[in-house]
Amino acid sequence: MSFDQNAFLIIFTASIISISCGLLGVFMMLRKMSMTGDAISHAVLPGIVIGFFVSGSQRGLEVIIGAGLLGILATLIINWLKNKAKVQLDASIGITFTLLFAIGIILINMLAYKVDLDQECVLYGEIAYLPIDLWITNSGFSMGPRITYLAVLNLVLVSAFIYLLYKELTLTSFDENFGLVIGIPAGAINLALMSMVSYTTVSSFEAVGAILVVALLVVPPATAFLWTKKLTSLIKLTCALGIFIAIAGYYMAYLVDSSIAGMMVAVGGVIFLGSALFKSIKPNFIFGTSTPSKPLEI
Amino acid sequence: MIINVESPILEIHDLTVSYDQSPVLWNVDLSLPGGKLIGILGPNGAGKSTLIKAIMGLIPITGGYVKLFDRELNDVRSRISYVPQRESVDWNFPASVLDVVMMGTYGKLGLFRRPGKKEKKIAMDCLEKVGMQSFVDRQISELSGGQQQRVFIARSLAQEADLYLMDEPFAGVDMATETAIFQLLQEMTAAGKTVIVVHHDIHSAMNYFDWIIMLNLHLVASGPKTDVVTEELLRKTYGGKLNLLTKVSDIIRQKDFNPLKS
Repeated sequence: MSFDQNAFLIIFTASIISISCGLLGVFMMLRKMSMTGDAISHAVLPGIVIGFFVSGSQRGLEVIIGAGLLGILATLIINWLKNKAKVQLDASIGITFTLLFAIGIILINMLAYKVDLDQECVLYGEIAYLPIDLWITNSGFSMGPRITYLAVLNLVLVSAFIYLLYKELTLTSFDENFGLVIGIPAGAINLALMSMVSYTTVSSFEAVGAILVVALLVVPPATAFLWTKKLTSLIKLTCALGIFIAIAGYYMAYLVDSSIAGMMVAVGGVIFLGSALFKSIKPNFIFGTSTPSKPLEI
Repeated sequence: MIINVESPILEIHDLTVSYDQSPVLWNVDLSLPGGKLIGILGPNGAGKSTLIKAIMGLIPITGGYVKLFDRELNDVRSRISYVPQRESVDWNFPASVLDVVMMGTYGKLGLFRRPGKKEKKIAMDCLEKVGMQSFVDRQISELSGGQQQRVFIARSLAQEADLYLMDEPFAGVDMATETAIFQLLQEMTAAGKTVIVVHHDIHSAMNYFDWIIMLNLHLVASGPKTDVVTEELLRKTYGGKLNLLTKVSDIIRQKDFNPLKS
């Protein structure tokens, strides 16, 4: 088989997006906030619409800023409902993101004649169109697919964020109160993480859609956590799984001539179920540094 | 009976804390001396954990104020350490014993800086103090309850603070470990540190603490243990629940009582 440039571009971009989502997803999972990621990915819709309306294009910086602000707003509403109004976490997530998503749909319909956007595009995306959506400079020179650039920029920022705040993210994920006591701004770190999730969602939604973003945030970290109990291996394994999902998803979709994004989620889900099944059958299987755990002495 | 001290290390004035309108701590007013091992006693739901969380600024205060080292909390954070209840975190977290103990050094490191050799050395020394040096690389999900507790104590030691607040560090810990930890705490107070411990067992409290605070929504007593541990104050703190205990000790106190005689 000869080198297929389009296939390479799609797999490359999907891998980059998988890694960005996986890196953030590890910390979301450790904070037991995976579903907050789901909420954010839907709640950014009104921000995208307003940003779109203000800038007049899908590519404007306003879109990312609008979505980022809405992501933070969603996080604040969820925290407020949980802490101050004493609503259950799952209920407050459900209320917040459906409300914000509904506002987004209403806005799309109200502004329909002005913006070229619909909720399907946000929810599903279409990575197969990636090679024809080119970044063309003012002089008319084609720089290659626009979304690939966005994905690479996103990965650079996400990696830098996690590299710089690694110790704070780890500590506040494990024991937020202790972090507060020793003077680490746990609230600010949490909001920064949520902003990064919002930004990643927006940056990726055109390519893979909000639903696949959620899957990439949740599934690779959850699968990796079945296999290792070490944070660094957890991060590496999550990235490796993300790349594998991108490659396998692409070729399976090619084989059955179906949606690439959908196939990627399906591949991820099957790997997770397989791992969970394998782990439940052989609970004492030793992998890496983990040894069979003993029951607690209580 | 509330005994106040000159130049206290911790001063609480008219502190009231409430959850959802209903106060769980009323008008607590006390001052504590430095360099002492201090125990907070009281029945379940007396507000013991609430008191130390309020001191640390982890829950909002409804009224009154707290002063540490005669300063505001935010000015002296690096001098204060905290051992939360063991159940407050998920021990399934992917971290090794060393990772968790190193977290104690993060406050002094500041943002963006990474722990290096110096921090690792501090963490190793602290693990040795609690007798956990052979568990350095163990994942925390594989520890027993008592070992988890010791890891938490090592983490707070790694902070190299002057005032330690510990929330039930002896819950689920066996006798040998309890004695070892109490000895460690006594060494710390001998070196000039102040340690405040929420505790359940009155007997070991009598053996080890220098100063005792008795709490039951209101402050019942605060002072040197010889002054405040009286039957009247214990009864006031624990209410009717102490009946059985005092009955037994009354019988033992009667010198002629010897169950083997008859």
